[in-house]
Amino acid sequence: MQLPSGSQTPGQATSSEPENASRPSVVVNENTDISLLTQAQLYDLNQNLLEDAVPNIPLIGPLSSISTLRAEYEEGSRSFVNQVDYLASQGYLSVRRARGDGDCFYRSLAFAFIEYLLNSPQTNVAVALATSLLESTIPMLEDAGFQKLVFEDFYEVLLSLIQQIVVPEPGGTTLTSETLLEAFQSPEVSNSVVVYLRLVASAQIRNDPEEYSPFLFHPELGEPMGTREFCEHFVEAVGKEADHVQMTALTRALKLNLNVAYLDGRSSTGKVDFVEFRDPDSQLENGSPITLLYRPGHYDILDKRTAEAL
Amino acid sequence: MALAYTRRLNKELAEIHAGTPVGINLVNADTFEKWLFTVEVMGTSEYEGEKFLLMFRFDNAYPISAPAVQFVVDDTHKAPVHPHVYSNGHICASILGREGWSPVLTVIAICITIQSMLASCKKKEQPSDNDRYVPRAPENPKKARFHYHGTCWRSAA
Repeated sequence: MQLPSGSQTPGQATSSEPENASRPSVVVNENTDISLLTQAQLYDLNQNLLEDAVPNIPLIGPLSSISTLRAEYEEGSRSFVNQVDYLASQGYLSVRRARGDGDCFYRSLAFAFIEYLLNSPQTNVAVALATSLLESTIPMLEDAGFQKLVFEDFYEVLLSLIQQIVVPEPGGTTLTSETLLEAFQSPEVSNSVVVYLRLVASAQIRNDPEEYSPFLFHPELGEPMGTREFCEHFVEAVGKEADHVQMTALTRALKLNLNVAYLDGRSSTGKVDFVEFRDPDSQLENGSPITLLYRPGHYDILDKRTAEAL
Repeated sequence: MALAYTRRLNKELAEIHAGTPVGINLVNADTFEKWLFTVEVMGTSEYEGEKFLLMFRFDNAYPISAPAVQFVVDDTHKAPVHPHVYSNGHICASILGREGWSPVLTVIAICITIQSMLASCKKKEQPSDNDRYVPRAPENPKKARFHYHGTCWRSAA
């Protein structure tokens, strides 16, 4: 549905006759004369536009060359271009984009983690370790006060995806890069995984308030927040972006090593700072940590391989 | 996979059949599209002797996104007069919107929240923008945008 800009607030006054609260929704196409719609219809239309505000790009995209990232800044900021070039010089040849829906950190991390397991030289061992780690999150979530009923469906989606690396689906095949991408592009699978990681991060924070409570601040107001309130509003709620606290909690709970490249356009030399999240018990070798790309308000996945090499 | 939300609702229903909190009773859960509960406030409150019918509507985005929840308003049922409840039954509560919903909430958790919202009411009055909101409200309350700042404000959007 495309509307000319400005059509959400038409200058022309329309009559606002009394209407019932329930009425058929308006079908709008390119032939619709916006000025003939009632106030109520315009209100609905605007609401629908708000619903569709997130651009229609895949939840997780295919691997694309880092030059596509560079192209975004070539017309604009030189310092961003320099930083993209720096990433390329460090061997990051590709980027895999996540939809900017507020879940991109969790979604990117989950995808990169499962892909890491998939490409591990000994998948049997990697999957067995990941499975036992995932199993250990169940008592953790229960300790945090979550009912099994509310999280077990999400858990099973993530577990079966990881299991599918070594055990073929009934009547199907084992997981490949392609089917992993398909799974992450399907909202039901993808969002279930996101929710589970959110609950793991939340449980980690809730179960260790002494460790985390000094760092719990309202992201907009900057005021300190209670653990429960913070977790309910900014960890468990879908669509709320992760900040340092959530990232720390999640990487610790999952014993992951993670590098986050901060592309902020602030460096004069073009160098990119990598923030390292390290867990002493991590099963990921230090040499091949998962690397995410951070640009203000958004996360994508960085990759040293090219799409052709996959 | 296609019907993950019905799997979750089935589990919730099994719990509901095993027992609901005092003042909350299942009226109908014959389909996975729509459930109905009666809600009463127990003990002393502004709503003594009143019983309300609460309607839940689900789609396959549940429980990633909230169900559509409202009081039924028809010949035999009225919405409670409350600063956060519009006369068409729509409810302004943060847990029902994007800001406050989380998949760890359940149908019963929503019932309890709404029951305590009524129980804590000090003065029965309609939302200040009731007359402005109701004639223009979308049929589905999930399509409305509410702001939550202690009192109830409908979004100017």
